Amino acid sequence: MRTNRLAATAAAILATTLLTACSGGSAEPSSPAAGSSAAPAAPVKLTYWSWVPNMDKIAAVWNQAHPGIQVTVSKQAGGDDAAAKFLTAAKAGNPPDLVQAEYQMLPSFVAADAVADIKAETAKVKGEFGEGIWGLVTLGTDAVYAVPQDSGPMMLYYRRDLFEKYGIEVPKTWEEYAQAARTVRKKDPKVFLGTFSSKDPGWFTGLAQQAGAQWWSISGDAWKVAIDDAATGKVAGYWGGLVKEGVIDSMPYFTPEWNKALNDGTLLTWPSAVWGPGVLSSNAPKGKGKWAVAPLPQWNAGESLSGFWGGSSTAVAAKSPNKAAAAEFADWLNTDPEALTALIKEGAIYPASTKGGALLTTTPDYFANQPDFWQQAAAIGATARGFTFGPDVNVTYNAYKDAFDKAVATKSDFTAAVRTMQDVTIADMRKSGFTLAQ
Amino acid sequence: MTAVTTLTRPEGHARAATRRPFGIAPTAVLVLGAIYTLFPVGWVVVAATKSKAELFSTPTFAPGTGLLSNLTDLFAYRDGVFWLWLLNTVVYAGGGAVLSTAVSTISGYTLAKYAFPGRDLIFNLLIGGILVPSVVLAIPQYLLFSEIGLADTYWAVLLPQILHPYGIYLARIYTQAAIPGSLLEAGRLDGAGEWRLFRQVALPMLTPGMVTIFLFQFVAIWNNFLLPFIMLGDDHKFPLTVGLYTLLAAGANQPSLYNLIITGTMLSLVPLIALFLTMQRYWRTDLSGGAVKS
Amino acid sequence: MPERVSRPRAVPYVFLAPAIVLFVLFMAVPIGYTAYLSVRRTKVSGLGLGRGARKEIFAGLDNYAAAIGDGELWAGWLRVIGYGALVLAVMLGFALLFALMLDTKHVHLARFTRISIFLPYAVPGVAATLMWGFLYLPSLSPFGDRPFLSAGAVTFSMANVAVWGGTGFNMLVLYTTLRAVPRDYYEAARIDGAGELQIALKIKIPMLIPAIILTGVFSVIATIQVFTEPTTLRPLTNTISSTWSPLMKIYRDAFVTGDLYSAAATSMVIAAISLVLSFGFLRVVKNRAFGET
Repeated sequence: MRTNRLAATAAAILATTLLTACSGGSAEPSSPAAGSSAAPAAPVKLTYWSWVPNMDKIAAVWNQAHPGIQVTVSKQAGGDDAAAKFLTAAKAGNPPDLVQAEYQMLPSFVAADAVADIKAETAKVKGEFGEGIWGLVTLGTDAVYAVPQDSGPMMLYYRRDLFEKYGIEVPKTWEEYAQAARTVRKKDPKVFLGTFSSKDPGWFTGLAQQAGAQWWSISGDAWKVAIDDAATGKVAGYWGGLVKEGVIDSMPYFTPEWNKALNDGTLLTWPSAVWGPGVLSSNAPKGKGKWAVAPLPQWNAGESLSGFWGGSSTAVAAKSPNKAAAAEFADWLNTDPEALTALIKEGAIYPASTKGGALLTTTPDYFANQPDFWQQAAAIGATARGFTFGPDVNVTYNAYKDAFDKAVATKSDFTAAVRTMQDVTIADMRKSGFTLAQ
Repeated sequence: MTAVTTLTRPEGHARAATRRPFGIAPTAVLVLGAIYTLFPVGWVVVAATKSKAELFSTPTFAPGTGLLSNLTDLFAYRDGVFWLWLLNTVVYAGGGAVLSTAVSTISGYTLAKYAFPGRDLIFNLLIGGILVPSVVLAIPQYLLFSEIGLADTYWAVLLPQILHPYGIYLARIYTQAAIPGSLLEAGRLDGAGEWRLFRQVALPMLTPGMVTIFLFQFVAIWNNFLLPFIMLGDDHKFPLTVGLYTLLAAGANQPSLYNLIITGTMLSLVPLIALFLTMQRYWRTDLSGGAVKS
Repeated sequence: MPERVSRPRAVPYVFLAPAIVLFVLFMAVPIGYTAYLSVRRTKVSGLGLGRGARKEIFAGLDNYAAAIGDGELWAGWLRVIGYGALVLAVMLGFALLFALMLDTKHVHLARFTRISIFLPYAVPGVAATLMWGFLYLPSLSPFGDRPFLSAGAVTFSMANVAVWGGTGFNMLVLYTTLRAVPRDYYEAARIDGAGELQIALKIKIPMLIPAIILTGVFSVIATIQVFTEPTTLRPLTNTISSTWSPLMKIYRDAFVTGDLYSAAATSMVIAAISLVLSFGFLRVVKNRAFGET
């Protein structure tokens, strides 16, 4: 008898401990929300997931000026990891109030019902952005799902000193770029003009945009998917040919090996985006003053076109209890001159806001020998082609990595890899039940 | 063969002299093993001294000049969040390992010393847990923790790591080896309660085994990445593994902060090495228990 | 007296209560939830962009059919079995060798080498793989221009990371087992004129077999679950796909392509296969270790 009571008591103690532990924890996160609606005196507390460096310092500027809305920044692992984590958190019902959303991931967030429509709250800042950029946060619908933060018009970074050494002109067309690649190999077999990265679908997407690709489009109530269109096929075939010929390297970007090549002059160009200086100065400090920037080579002589690689926006979670306050912060962060200045200086980003361009006055240290760096960037940015991202870009991008990994390793047909991307994307959308235009 | 000498003076000089050739080969094998294992660790230590420019340009094992600036940068990163990560890791690993050792010990003891219906079933279920990969459990655990409002709290990382099949297995083995059933019976005849028997008779005899379980679990939690990565959103609650990972996967458009990662990795090894060195005398206990009981 | 008889009946359950509660909360319930998710899927209508355009519906066994019918999953199993066999043989071989060497008489530097060989146990898998990853890259490697990450070599390179990380732990398990053997066992053999080598082969190894089986089982389970090494190496090479190992496929489905339901179904399939693969070993161990109870 006594023992049974003992068992019951122990179980009861354990249960209460667990219960108090649970309720103690759960009361904590929900209390600020409850407090804010009841008593306006208590500040609204917002959490913000971002991977922009020093974002906490920029938020501190806001917190200083807005005692009623306090933003806490939580720095995350960037890119795909952050997107996956946010989607999981949104599904579980406890996402942060604000999240940094790369443009290509925004449709996935919208499709998962993870981000809020903030059209009303953003009406006053719409005029601050170009039409192409704004299209990336409306997805071509009536809603507005985020405020654009930064963008990444693509340009060509090249080693000016080594171009002179090898006697190469800055290539104006991709044909010239291919010729230059061959010349470099002949002059020094240790050196490559460039490398094809099978790990960076965003990069390839930008190059395809330049060629005029339009992978997703909305026609009526249906998605049209054309990843294997002629423009993309042209880009894939071009790089595939160079890799097969052996005149272009195939090491991925952002690896230690690539860093070394940037430093020691065994890699001469990087078709990248406007945010390149941050990466170069950090990963290739030895190349300071040696790298220069030019427009991307063109498909047809005389054209001047570019694409976008990267760029992100600030979205408000659909489950946030303080959407209006969050949207207000997102507006401020991406359009207020003080915030933009801080983003440029502390966060090393290229603001999407048109006002941002005027604030970019100091040439990056790394490009001290190119005083017109920002003028160049602005001119190139104006030539970048628009693009619509679909609701399962993550699937497409993952297919890119797997298919191009294989194609690069076996030096096989790159256009077949593009077809794989198309097939995988279509299969995934069909499985989920999206309506597809034929 | 000097049989008599062996019997009377097993460590005698005569014997050592005849066996000398055999002492060289084992030493050589072990030194080769140590070189192999220390090689990458040595690389981390050297790489931590390199500045950004040196890391990718100087020969692999050439020491650099950047150790101080790497340390300053790491400690200044986000107002010294590195220390917070270190502290969190100690809390997760220390707290989790203490709780885990307690649960493992009492469970293993019970499974070894009591016969009761369902014992084999319970043991098999608890041990079977090792078959379920953490990747499989992480998402449902996260969704359930969110359900009860505990996601993104210290509990979310602590609680799921308390139950440790290997710890329970070891505790059961230790109990079988270290505590004779007759001792407990004698205690019962003296009128000692079951809890007192466990506290005062069994626990002291199990201490070396518990230290081992503690260390295993401490290291396991210290090194765990996936669970805290999924559970935590607030980077002030991150452990070292997740924190350092945010430096590596700095995101599109952002360079990976290799210098900070390497320096951070090197520093994160120091506490564990210190722990091993201080605790290693306990590690003489039989870790498998499958062999002859002594 | 009747109290004493009744006491042990409830006591074991009380003592086991914490473990059972934890098991139910953090194992059984999540597994049950995974099983539930595995028979569901999302259904999108139209563009899938508006509110409520995405619903969760019952999917029957579709996810299972897809998981079992996916050739990549089985190719992944093949890769992992090859990798696992390699790791197991080399790692346990080294562990046994080092343990025997440590247990010989007159070995020098025993303390230093034991700690050194055990040290990698303290290094998180991600960090270990990153370290080796740096050393594998041709342009940074101190071993010169060797293609450690080429299609033919990458399995060996990955196995090396696992061997590096795991040998010390297994060595320690075997070594402590040897230390627990009373020294007189060997003296008797020495009197009969056996050398150290013969003692190792004829006495120590047979005595170690249960411990080797034990470490073997845990190593098999660990290699089936290989995830960290290929995931961390993947950004450095184009020879590791996102579905290289079965667990990577789960991770990809759940976190990269956002299909939790397929991931859940694949999880269940993998758990079932792990169960079958490990069951035999587990039985052997149980009989060996608990034969007397």
